[in-house]
Amino acid sequence: MALPQSLRVSVTPPELELVASQQLVEIVPLIAMEKTAFISGAYGPLRPPNKAKVPLWMAVNLKLKKKCHIVAPEWLNVEFLQERVNLETTQPTFSHLPLRFAEIAKVILDVASNDLDNPDKIRSLLKDLREARQAKSRDGLKELDHSELSLPNLCSMEINEIRPYFVQAMNVLTQLVRNPVPDPLR
Amino acid sequence: MAKVLVTASHGKGATCLTFSRDGQRAFTGGQDCIVRIWKINEGAEQEPSTAAEAEDAVLCVAAADDYWFSGSVDTEARRYLRDSNEFDAPLTTVAGVPVRSIAVDPKSRRVAVTSDELFVRMVDMEDTSKSTRLEGYSSGVRSATWHPSGSHLATCTCDGKIVVWDMISEPPRIEKTLDGIIPKVLDTDSSEFTYDCSVVWHTSGQHFFVATKGHEIITISRSDWSKSAPFSDKNATGAITALAVSPNGVYLASASQSRVYIWSTETKRVVTSHLGTPGSAITRLQFSPRQNLVAWVDTDGAFSRWTKPISDDFPDPVKAAISTKGSATVAVSFKPGADFFADELGAANGDDTMDADTNLDDDMLPLDDEWIVDDMDGAHSTEPKEAERVPFVKEMVSITKAQPPFQPGSTPFLNKKRYLSHNLIGVIEVTDTDDANLVTVECFDKSTRRGYNFKDNFRYDQGYLGERGAVFACPPQNEHSARVRYRPFSSTSSTWDYELRKETKCLGVAAGGAALTPKNVSDIELDGYGFVVIATSENDLTFLSGTGRERRIMALPGEFVTMITSAEWVLVVHRAGSTTIDGSQNLHFTMINEEDFSVRQRDILPVPKGHTLKWMGLTDQGAPAMYDSTGCLHIMTKYRIPHHASWARVLDTNFLERRKGKDESYWPVGVTGDNFICLILKGRQEHPSFPRPLLQELPLQMPFRSSARQEEMLARETMQIELMFDNLDEELTTDDIVSREKAIDKEFVKLIHTACKEGRDARAIELTKLIHQLPTFDIVSQIADFFHQPGLKEKVITIKTDREEAEDRLIVARSKRRRWLKQDAPLRQLAGTTNPVRVDPLGDGRPPPVIERPGMARVTVPIIERTQYSSLNASTSQRTATQESPSWDDSVVDSSPAAEKRKRPDLEDSFPSSDFPMPPPKQRANPFARKDKNPFARKADAKTIRKSESFFDKVDAAESEPPRKPKTSTKGKEREKKDGGPKQATLFGMISKGPPKPKKALTPQPVDAQSDAQLESQMTDVSMSELTIDSQEGVGGQEREYSPDWEETQVDDDPSLMAISDA
Repeated sequence: MALPQSLRVSVTPPELELVASQQLVEIVPLIAMEKTAFISGAYGPLRPPNKAKVPLWMAVNLKLKKKCHIVAPEWLNVEFLQERVNLETTQPTFSHLPLRFAEIAKVILDVASNDLDNPDKIRSLLKDLREARQAKSRDGLKELDHSELSLPNLCSMEINEIRPYFVQAMNVLTQLVRNPVPDPLR
Repeated sequence: MAKVLVTASHGKGATCLTFSRDGQRAFTGGQDCIVRIWKINEGAEQEPSTAAEAEDAVLCVAAADDYWFSGSVDTEARRYLRDSNEFDAPLTTVAGVPVRSIAVDPKSRRVAVTSDELFVRMVDMEDTSKSTRLEGYSSGVRSATWHPSGSHLATCTCDGKIVVWDMISEPPRIEKTLDGIIPKVLDTDSSEFTYDCSVVWHTSGQHFFVATKGHEIITISRSDWSKSAPFSDKNATGAITALAVSPNGVYLASASQSRVYIWSTETKRVVTSHLGTPGSAITRLQFSPRQNLVAWVDTDGAFSRWTKPISDDFPDPVKAAISTKGSATVAVSFKPGADFFADELGAANGDDTMDADTNLDDDMLPLDDEWIVDDMDGAHSTEPKEAERVPFVKEMVSITKAQPPFQPGSTPFLNKKRYLSHNLIGVIEVTDTDDANLVTVECFDKSTRRGYNFKDNFRYDQGYLGERGAVFACPPQNEHSARVRYRPFSSTSSTWDYELRKETKCLGVAAGGAALTPKNVSDIELDGYGFVVIATSENDLTFLSGTGRERRIMALPGEFVTMITSAEWVLVVHRAGSTTIDGSQNLHFTMINEEDFSVRQRDILPVPKGHTLKWMGLTDQGAPAMYDSTGCLHIMTKYRIPHHASWARVLDTNFLERRKGKDESYWPVGVTGDNFICLILKGRQEHPSFPRPLLQELPLQMPFRSSARQEEMLARETMQIELMFDNLDEELTTDDIVSREKAIDKEFVKLIHTACKEGRDARAIELTKLIHQLPTFDIVSQIADFFHQPGLKEKVITIKTDREEAEDRLIVARSKRRRWLKQDAPLRQLAGTTNPVRVDPLGDGRPPPVIERPGMARVTVPIIERTQYSSLNASTSQRTATQESPSWDDSVVDSSPAAEKRKRPDLEDSFPSSDFPMPPPKQRANPFARKDKNPFARKADAKTIRKSESFFDKVDAAESEPPRKPKTSTKGKEREKKDGGPKQATLFGMISKGPPKPKKALTPQPVDAQSDAQLESQMTDVSMSELTIDSQEGVGGQEREYSPDWEETQVDDDPSLMAISDA
């Protein structure tokens, strides 16, 4: 593996993306299909123009074949994200977002940006969001404790991002706590 | 086209602008202390008159009916006479601060003057010394704007508040303060302060537009002060420096720095834009109240006029020209232009720049404007609206405007684009290019139907997307008559055209056919292309086959309104007679079977008074659905059973959760399963815009009054299942239905559980009865057990056993379906089968039952050869003449007693008798008699030939035996002799009877038949039917030929008989 050591302890973003591909999204199919059984479950039937819920990987697959439109999840629009950015910049805590929003948003923006309203704005908002949250998690480093770390509202991608460093840092902290450096004065 | 006249007029700095109310003049004021009065119709070279009374920069100008006003930094608000520079009187003087804005109310009675003072002065026009103050401000007031009705005054303050005053109450009170929308500008010298921050009321008075500090234009609803989606365009950025709304409210003009944008208020999209003097900021912007003209002034002091900013392709900015055709908007809003400028519109309507399409829509505008809105006023009871309508002449139409014909799912042209049809199958879009239309047919299910587009020179204005093809129709134009084009969804078939007669218009088209699914799409050639129905102005419905064969022209009562088709029927909405005086559209519907043109349903369409039908369509199960302007969705149930249909209300969009606090309406597309498929229109939008918005699914919800959601769901599910059952034919049930029933039973169980918990046994039992699947009963009895209610359990078990014992409900349902769907009424069928059995006692021409007298039978005799007819006839007739038929019959059969001796006399007898035979033929002629007699005949022989059938026969045989014995022994020989004998007799008979015979022409046949029958029965046991057949043939000559055989059998029989008798 050509990855640096620090990354090897954690899952890679493409792997996370793969995991996120199991999430269900709504699509507007352009083809008709009966209910079909897959390993992960039975999906369908597809009856245009009715919406259907299918896993993201299937939606992407269909979309690439121009056989569906992906309906953006309710959190993937300018208003919602703008509000979250506002919250993120004004509140000290992390705002609530779907666990795998980063992965799903990326996939949808990559594959189906023409199904979204104002994708450029969404992109920039997502970036704002990411930066704001990243700054917070960096801040959180100050309160890092050797024994526990609670991460309310943190998303999978962010957890993944901080994991290598935080785990390392906590290990060091643990060592420090367990084997305190003898006081030179004693 | 559009041109812009720029005239430098004032010095650099903030400049103000207003139009006179008649739109003839414009007033501009600026830093040069002068107000210039421009004549709008004159060009750039004109020398405007000036009013130079002001001693400092003029900050505002305003116009009333008789006067115009200017406000200046010199604390003075001045009043001038109309259209002139003649100074009339000072209006008011503020205390040492500049006058910021002057606003005259629509009735020209009151003038609001704002300044840097912490109140607004309200000056009476009649007596300028009378002035009141609107107090409650914490900063200077930058601007004031009157509501179009004069009922409200919206003011904007320096500290970023919008304060709305209720001007009807006495004294005026603050109705609402909106903070944080407009920018806070406290520095009066900043350039931002010169921008026009005032709110702009929409002409409907329903909402106002305002530029926010976020550089957006938002709409704020007057009823609940809620914001709605901003006007956005990626090019329109930067601070908004001025706003204006067109006289009819269709357009909104905004200025961002030096660029002017014109938006459609309906679509919230930029219609056009123009770049003014670069580097300067436009500080005031106005639409001319009378012309298609926008004027503005900028910080350079230049006055610009943009004539014809709105091209002819768009609705005019002045005239009320928004169509309401086929829209599904819930009528909560006023039509633009129906109010403030209403009186002026009359004048402006002179020049007609609209295209035919919008004109068409014009006539129906009053429909919504007049009583519908009145109605809604009552319903929503916003009393300021009433006040707002006072100043205008209110024309109460006494006769309800009839709703014109429409195609479901079509829209008028908007930005040169329109939908011809938009349903669950797909969309037909039309783009108007100058020389021809571009028609695009796009289907949602791309796997079964392929979309296409074509250039259309006929300008089709009606379309219908059916299951198996798209049909288009165009109106008759100068050289060509109206024509209909059908294009099936098939790669191999060609389109066809159907031309109507000259002058005949096509009012509506529809195409139907069995649903096309991926499975049967390849069979389209085999299954056909469905059918096409055309409604024409000749008051008919024309049915055509999928290949263009004319099948029938059916008269249509009343005016056609709209129609929809499914696989097997067409549902036509028509107006029987005229609309009623109390506002009802008087719509009826008729559902006609496509196959045999029979009417399946016919009733009144339930559109309430004062409302119109907005849409007709199909659910995915093929049931008709309707949506009216009240916002209610109905589905027709039991539509397959003649005269059983009813409209179930499945959704009332007025009570939707999502609708709360939003100004939106729904444009129906279809109904699938539990969802109402629609496009959601924001604000006052009436038709979906382009590009096509995403279809939205709203869950159906019957508007039940009690809030028990579960019960509503159950009722709806039950209805769905019923609908599915109605769609079945011979099959008893489907997997889908079973799974649905199971799901619904689960819900029932839950409800029963709750009912048990609450101790409502009656409810629990009621619900138990509704359960579909038998196994569910066991679960229910378990629940009863759990709650220790043995009584309930017992009842559940009783219900279950009842259900088990009763005929299977599925079969009952099927037989019910069969009964209703059968073409032939069952009654008639029954009658047909019972007919032969039924006996009419009076019409019974059969002979009375024969009395059997075996003893007497002997007397009559010998007859021998019944096969030989003529002779036989002779003899029989003779005998009948002399004796009663029964005996004769017997005698006929009873060959044995016929002795040679008798033969002769018989024959002799026969001759005379044949001459007067009248009475007997009756009996003989009757075919039924034959049957009756057969038993006897058989008996007579049988008794001797085989085991006798009955006791009496045996008795008879016993009786007759002794005397007969000798005779029987000779019988065979006798027979032969007789054979010969009668033949001779026949000959004789023929000769002798020649003349009289004709009279009795009929008699031979039956007699013969009879005898024949007897023969047969003698020989073998022959069934009735054969008998009759034989008897029919009987007349034929062959009969005679067969007779010898018979003789032989008879002979054969005889020996055996003899043997028996001997034994």
